[in-house]
Amino acid sequence: MPAGAQNGETSATERVLGRIVATEKRPNTPHEFHFWTAIDSPIGIGTIVRVDGETPVGGHMVRVYGVVVEGFSYTDLQSPIHDVLGHDGTPSGATVAATQRAEIRLYTAHVLRQLPEEPLQPVPMGNVALASDEDVAVALRMDTYLAPGNRTAIPVGVYRAGAMEAPIYLDADFLLGPEAAHLNITGVSGLATKTSAVEWLLASIFAHFPAQKGSVAAICFNVKGPDLLFLDQPGHLDDADRLVYEKLGVPARPFERVEYFAPYTPQGFTLNTLRSNEALADNLRPLTWGLNEVMQFAEVLLNKDDLDAKADALVDFLQERVINREFTDPVLSAPHRVRSFGDLEAFFRDLLRGVEDRGTGEYWRTHHVATIRKVRNRLSNISTRCAGLVTDEGVVSDLPFGSFADRTVYVVDVASLEENAQDLIFARVVSKLREHLERRDLGVSHVVVFVDELNKYAPGDGPDTYVRKMLLDIAERGRYLGLVLFSAQQFRSQVHRRVVGNSGTSLYGRMDMDELATPGYAVLSPAIKIKLATLEKGQLMVRHPHFAQPIFVRFPRPAVMRGRDGAERYPPQAELPLEVAVMRSLRQLDPSISLDWVKRAIVGHDDALVIRARNATLQARPEKVQAYFEAQFRRIVPTEAVAPRLEKVPLRSLPGDDPYGF
Amino acid sequence: MTTTLAPDRDASRQGADIQGFRSIQRRLAALVPGEAWIESPPPLELTALGGDDAPRLIAASVLEGSTVRAHAVAGELSPRFAAFLDGTQRSRVIAHADEVPIVHGLVAAVVRERSDRRMRTWGAPTVRDALYAPIPLLGSRWRDVLLQAGIPVIDTLSRGDPASTHPFALQDSAIHAVQSAREAAERALAERWCATQARELVVDGAITGSETVATSARVVGVIKSHRTLYVEGDALRTVLRLRRGERSSVLRVTSPKRTPVASWYLRLRDPRGHDPLWGLVRVEMAEAGADRLTERADAVSRWVLAESLPLAVPDGRWDKMMYGIRDCEEFLRAIQ
Repeated sequence: MPAGAQNGETSATERVLGRIVATEKRPNTPHEFHFWTAIDSPIGIGTIVRVDGETPVGGHMVRVYGVVVEGFSYTDLQSPIHDVLGHDGTPSGATVAATQRAEIRLYTAHVLRQLPEEPLQPVPMGNVALASDEDVAVALRMDTYLAPGNRTAIPVGVYRAGAMEAPIYLDADFLLGPEAAHLNITGVSGLATKTSAVEWLLASIFAHFPAQKGSVAAICFNVKGPDLLFLDQPGHLDDADRLVYEKLGVPARPFERVEYFAPYTPQGFTLNTLRSNEALADNLRPLTWGLNEVMQFAEVLLNKDDLDAKADALVDFLQERVINREFTDPVLSAPHRVRSFGDLEAFFRDLLRGVEDRGTGEYWRTHHVATIRKVRNRLSNISTRCAGLVTDEGVVSDLPFGSFADRTVYVVDVASLEENAQDLIFARVVSKLREHLERRDLGVSHVVVFVDELNKYAPGDGPDTYVRKMLLDIAERGRYLGLVLFSAQQFRSQVHRRVVGNSGTSLYGRMDMDELATPGYAVLSPAIKIKLATLEKGQLMVRHPHFAQPIFVRFPRPAVMRGRDGAERYPPQAELPLEVAVMRSLRQLDPSISLDWVKRAIVGHDDALVIRARNATLQARPEKVQAYFEAQFRRIVPTEAVAPRLEKVPLRSLPGDDPYGF
Repeated sequence: MTTTLAPDRDASRQGADIQGFRSIQRRLAALVPGEAWIESPPPLELTALGGDDAPRLIAASVLEGSTVRAHAVAGELSPRFAAFLDGTQRSRVIAHADEVPIVHGLVAAVVRERSDRRMRTWGAPTVRDALYAPIPLLGSRWRDVLLQAGIPVIDTLSRGDPASTHPFALQDSAIHAVQSAREAAERALAERWCATQARELVVDGAITGSETVATSARVVGVIKSHRTLYVEGDALRTVLRLRRGERSSVLRVTSPKRTPVASWYLRLRDPRGHDPLWGLVRVEMAEAGADRLTERADAVSRWVLAESLPLAVPDGRWDKMMYGIRDCEEFLRAIQ
């Protein structure tokens, strides 16, 4: 018996709004039923309704919950021609009929849940009412994870019907693992729905992820514009938004702990991000990697043509025998310890010169000279292609793997980077996360990785890239580790099916009709599709393992500054003069550093040396910043200027077994 | 006058309360085991010929002027009727008791009022079922069975001996008895309306059966059937030649057992390409003073013409039927 009925009251949601109907042509089934309503009823597509059966089954009165998926309206008019005749074929001149034709609103609903659940029978005749808050919780099986003491509910938004507003929750066990995991959101571009939804959901997770489940952090890859660059700044919320925040128990304020990472510009002076305003510099860190960090992911940057079997063998040899260890060889003029791209270039130069000078033939340790030249070319190119991210001198400024903090968002801004550099960052960051999560030493037990533009990174067709393999790996195995993928794209149908298929939770914003016409949406009714095609900003359709059918929810604007607003309020700074860039970088360690002091310290030194000194200082984070910085210049022993040697490179015939012609 | 073998029940019951053909047949089967029962008999209204339905002409006195002529109904057509009344009946042979047909009759009537251009039920509809049988012709066994059937039983021979014991003649008697029950139900609703309402009601059919209704200024009857035409000779030709929006002069329609009313013919639709009675209705209203007769007939005609939309399709009588009357019939069909 409904709660209201027990105490004799009839709330709005207890009011009978419809009657179940079934005909031979359109019967009710265990998964679908039909009902009619008054023409002014608040029922619509997506409305959750409750059916109260009239005949007990097994001693229990049947109660069925359903969501409206289709609506029909018709009159007693048998043919349109009758209306034409009735108005003499002139609609504009027609007399207003004294009586409106009898009109029916007939709805089809899909069953969300039946109580009792056994025996599962066709939906019985009965009255139809709007579902109350409690009904919605039962209908969506949220009651199982809303129970006190075992609560794992994460608010995703509110469901509205008539004047009723019910909170909708996702199950953390099915959103962040281990039962299921991952979230995928799709929708047309330009409405900011996808980014907003993820920002809102992260705030909700941070507020509601249960303590007994461990800790959680998020890594967001900012792949375009300033979308995710102001997560720590307050955004505009109206009263309606605040009410939703209050109802769902999520603080209406920006993220408290956000750390930003961005590589340098190719020039190396300033960080390559739109969040470069000095007022926001306190939580912005450089992201720079050296040879060690890059070589592990060389295959990300080298395509299949680059990395044939022979080149791959040489790269393996370099990784195992040369890099980061003392390496000697008769053809080398001296022992080499390769720690940076600069060291690697020196090693290659010495090796090729030695091979040529000694006349040992065209092979060195089974590697053809042409292959050596090719690998040298490709690896040397990395620091050029990824300038600003990869440094020749091996300076490393990385994400805090091992000391990730609970409820912290780490934003990696890759928006301004070339595709190769983006791929490298993504592959390495995710691999490191996985390594640390496997060892349980990341600092947190769960990490949400947000990747936008999945159409680009994990397309359903096209080459099998390293990044796509990484995404597939997260999607298929990440939930056991606490590595959770939140992904977004415009066209879900064009994303690799194993990525979206492994997403336990799917969100849909406003959709393009062409996309909705693809086979992946065949299970949706035409009415649901048209609703998806016309969704307002802030509305989503949610699919979640506990929900038998998709549900429409509204979510509030995220409490963070929109990227566009942030870029206007905190305009990015133009490329700075070197001395100013150095001053600002060092001021993060020592606020007393002045521009004059920097100018004096770097006078007479070339830009590369100054940048190297700055990077070394930032990496070491010394107590005495000024002294350490100045010491970097003293440690450099000026070498005698030697004119570059013009080597005579003997013309040689192409090796018969080298198809590349080096 | 009818005779009942079982206590009468509440005259005004919701459709869900009626016992229904199958239910009664099952009950009878329990009382008369071994009897063969009719499976799905067609309604007698579809098959009975009826001896009283022969077309006829009756000359009625003219109240408006001296001869019947055509009057164009001038003025703006504005809907005035607040409600519509109609009734339905359905008669089916439920059993043959020693070769005598026993008929299950279901009568219903409803007033549907119009509010904000939408129709809804006024008060409660009347739905009533009973068994109709020539009781004197039944043996004692069947009389006992009907007494125990738990449903009113109405004697179709209460008005006198049958013209014939031909089974069809007995069925016709039953149909007439059902018709009387239906008219009584309609009459009761119309009288209740007159007693409680100050708004105009339009009744499907004649209003002469009740003095209260026939003398009420708030009730109008619209007759679609023209088996009897109340004009002859030139007057007939005038009526049959009425054009759309024209009415005949007002007549006085009277009958020995009925209350006299003022009546006229009104053409609702253009009859070109159809038979002369197409789109023709006869309107009845309470007699008014001679000085107001024309004015009143024109006003009521405008009200009726205003109801010509929406079309009452797909009913085959849509040329004469008001949509509100069709709505009554659809409602009664739905609840039976």
